[in-house]
Amino acid sequence: MARSDRAYRKLVRKKTILSAEREYKDILLRDCENEVQRKTDDYRARLMRELYTAHPEWIPVEEAEKAVYENRMMQFDSDMAFTMKQASNRAAKVISKTPTSAPQEEQKLQQLQEEQTALRESYSRWLTEEIHRQLSDVSVTSPERDKALADIETAVKAFRAEQEKMAGAQMEKIRRAEDAKIQKLTVSLERAQTSPTGKLTLPEGVVLRVQDLCMYFGGVHAVDGLSFDVKKGEIFGLIGPNGAGKTTVFNCITQFYKPTSGTLLFENKAGEVISLPEEKVHDVVLQGIVRTFQNVEVIREVSVLDNLLIAGHRQFTAGIGTQALHLPALKKQERIIREKALRVLDFMGLTECKDWYAAGLPYGILKKIEIARTLMCDPQLIILDEPAAGLNDTETLELADLIRRIRDTIGCTILLVEHDMGLVMNICQTICAISFGKLLAIGTPEEIQKDPQVQKAYLGESDEEVEK
Amino acid sequence: MTDLNVKQEYLRLTYGDSQKVDSGKKVGKLLSAPLTQYLIFLVVLGAFPLLAQLGVLTSSFVFAIGNTMIYAIMAIGFCLLMGYSGLASLGTAGFVGIGAYIAYYFMQTYGAPFGVAFIVTVLVSLVSGVLVGFISLRIEGIYLAILTLGLSEILRNTFISLKSTIKLDMSKVRLFGVKIGEEQVYLLILVLFVLLLWITSNLIRSPIGRALLSVKNSTSAAQAMGINLMKYRVLAFVISTVFAAISGLMYMMLLRNMTTSTSTLLSMATSLNILGAVVIGGAKSLWGTTFGVFIIYGLQSTLLSKIPFFVENPAFITMITGLLIILIVMFYPGGIAQMVGNLVQKRRTAKFVTKVERRMDSYGQK
Repeated sequence: MARSDRAYRKLVRKKTILSAEREYKDILLRDCENEVQRKTDDYRARLMRELYTAHPEWIPVEEAEKAVYENRMMQFDSDMAFTMKQASNRAAKVISKTPTSAPQEEQKLQQLQEEQTALRESYSRWLTEEIHRQLSDVSVTSPERDKALADIETAVKAFRAEQEKMAGAQMEKIRRAEDAKIQKLTVSLERAQTSPTGKLTLPEGVVLRVQDLCMYFGGVHAVDGLSFDVKKGEIFGLIGPNGAGKTTVFNCITQFYKPTSGTLLFENKAGEVISLPEEKVHDVVLQGIVRTFQNVEVIREVSVLDNLLIAGHRQFTAGIGTQALHLPALKKQERIIREKALRVLDFMGLTECKDWYAAGLPYGILKKIEIARTLMCDPQLIILDEPAAGLNDTETLELADLIRRIRDTIGCTILLVEHDMGLVMNICQTICAISFGKLLAIGTPEEIQKDPQVQKAYLGESDEEVEK
Repeated sequence: MTDLNVKQEYLRLTYGDSQKVDSGKKVGKLLSAPLTQYLIFLVVLGAFPLLAQLGVLTSSFVFAIGNTMIYAIMAIGFCLLMGYSGLASLGTAGFVGIGAYIAYYFMQTYGAPFGVAFIVTVLVSLVSGVLVGFISLRIEGIYLAILTLGLSEILRNTFISLKSTIKLDMSKVRLFGVKIGEEQVYLLILVLFVLLLWITSNLIRSPIGRALLSVKNSTSAAQAMGINLMKYRVLAFVISTVFAAISGLMYMMLLRNMTTSTSTLLSMATSLNILGAVVIGGAKSLWGTTFGVFIIYGLQSTLLSKIPFFVENPAFITMITGLLIILIVMFYPGGIAQMVGNLVQKRRTAKFVTKVERRMDSYGQK
């Protein structure tokens, strides 16, 4: 390695700051726009309220009917759902104490349900009548009303224009200040990038090269002379019977294990080829490799959103002093990363459970959180260790779609270990089959399916060859 | 149903009263902001010496509160270590000794002002915290507890052989070149305590706090996310060690003499009491921990000293504390903080239920 580790860190740090600054500019500009929108809405609401308080007979009948009716019915339904839940909780408690009373309790719940339906009907009828009665004096149209409404619209428009003008000046100021900062950062980043690159090389289009990888635990040869190349932007599957050493290969790539011998070359975020065994395990993520775990390793004591913030840990450039005093610099970074986390949660369809504690969430969601975590790290290569384990068929199909979507939107490479052959054959471009730490075959899904050695390893000639 | 006014409800729904809600929310938000809470806390406790001068409180009460705060400084550092990093340490007492002896040697022997002694304390404890932190990388759980306990005893015996009785003259205590009395020392302790409490709470709400929690929960996930195990374990140890040493320094300032061989400050009892306080109060809550320290160290000398029964039988207080620890561990593993949290939650639910029930009645009425 020609370039020192420190220079790369500096480069990544600068890159992080630059992208954060870019995002912060967007956030600030969006804030300005939102502020204008909010102020205008408030202004309009105030004018409308004043108008209708002064002239209650001008209220639009249909709209008022609909709004009030829907609001009341929504309230009613949520109240009923709450009582139903309470009743069923109580019933469950009684049943757990005396199992013989189960039919009675069920009947009670049924009765309650029927009562509620009846009540809902009568309430709805009464509500419609009452609303009609109260709104009977409202006149449908009048020229004065139209004129007043038009007046309000013009006033709001003028107000909005004025606000926009003010915000525009502010936005221009922000844009200029941020652009200056970004310009400065870009220049310093370019200067950092012109320093000499390493001697190691990879063929064009290859992102990860595993060559003669060996991992011995005492006398056990978990991985023995394995070699394969992962091309940029592909979904690469690693398959093999249980105990074939797939997870060990992953642990070697991510430096959880230091390989006994062999070379691991990787093209990092700066486009420079590095030898992975020289990296520390917690620095691998900085180079652009992120992994998930076979048995989900989610931080259970914190919320889902905080889990993602933990994944964004390396993007916080604030020092300990800034954090101890909660200086504005930290708040700014926190905001940028929080918005990023919210975007990732939205992408993964986890937005509604962002504030839930990870402890006690269903397995499928925990798996999704793990994948979401990898996305927070701006990965170059995502390593998924059995992503479909414990998922049902529909969830597996969703997962296949998700993995493809991730590859297409982020443009990263995906390396996965999986036992679900349907999934592997479905999404992978290249598959590598290993057994007892040795390479069996490598090729497209069709080639692998036809390969006699793979068939032998999975189905076996004699029983003892199959470890399952 | 009588409260249905369609026109008003329509106005409220479509063009809601946003301004009215805002002012109420603002006050609530200001009160719930950590900084405001700490300021209120500071002002309330800062008024105690004044009240003592006016004769409302006894000066022994103020002294006891000052003493409690010294232990609370120890406890919040320990809270970060145990509650957030999951590292069990029984070596708190030994590090307290560092502060106490630096106070003696620098302020009494060399006549240095408080500021110098403070800086030296922080530096020395920082170095020793780094050393212990490195050890914690190799050893975990109960073995770490035993090891730190041994370390604490080594430190204690070293201090005893250095000088068995240390004494600080009041005339030697100077802050910015000005001699200060007991009340000023109390205020100094208060300011330091609130400052450290604020810093700790900031750290907990920062990336550092989250990193510590992730190291506690899953080391492999933490490493995969780029968190350096060594850095954060060492950091947790450094913070708790520095806090313990600062409390030792303040202890000498307030009590001014200590016979190391007979004093309980540097013995295992202190480490265990702090552990007990953190368990009672809740290992993940700073306010809970502070309250736990008050129960163990402050209750006897402030409130219970008024009750004749406890004055005659002081052993009962220890028994009650022990019972409290057992009960809390059994029923509320999250300590008093969890208990209070549960109560608040229950009350909120009850309020919600009564609201729903009131509405339910109106549905039937028509």
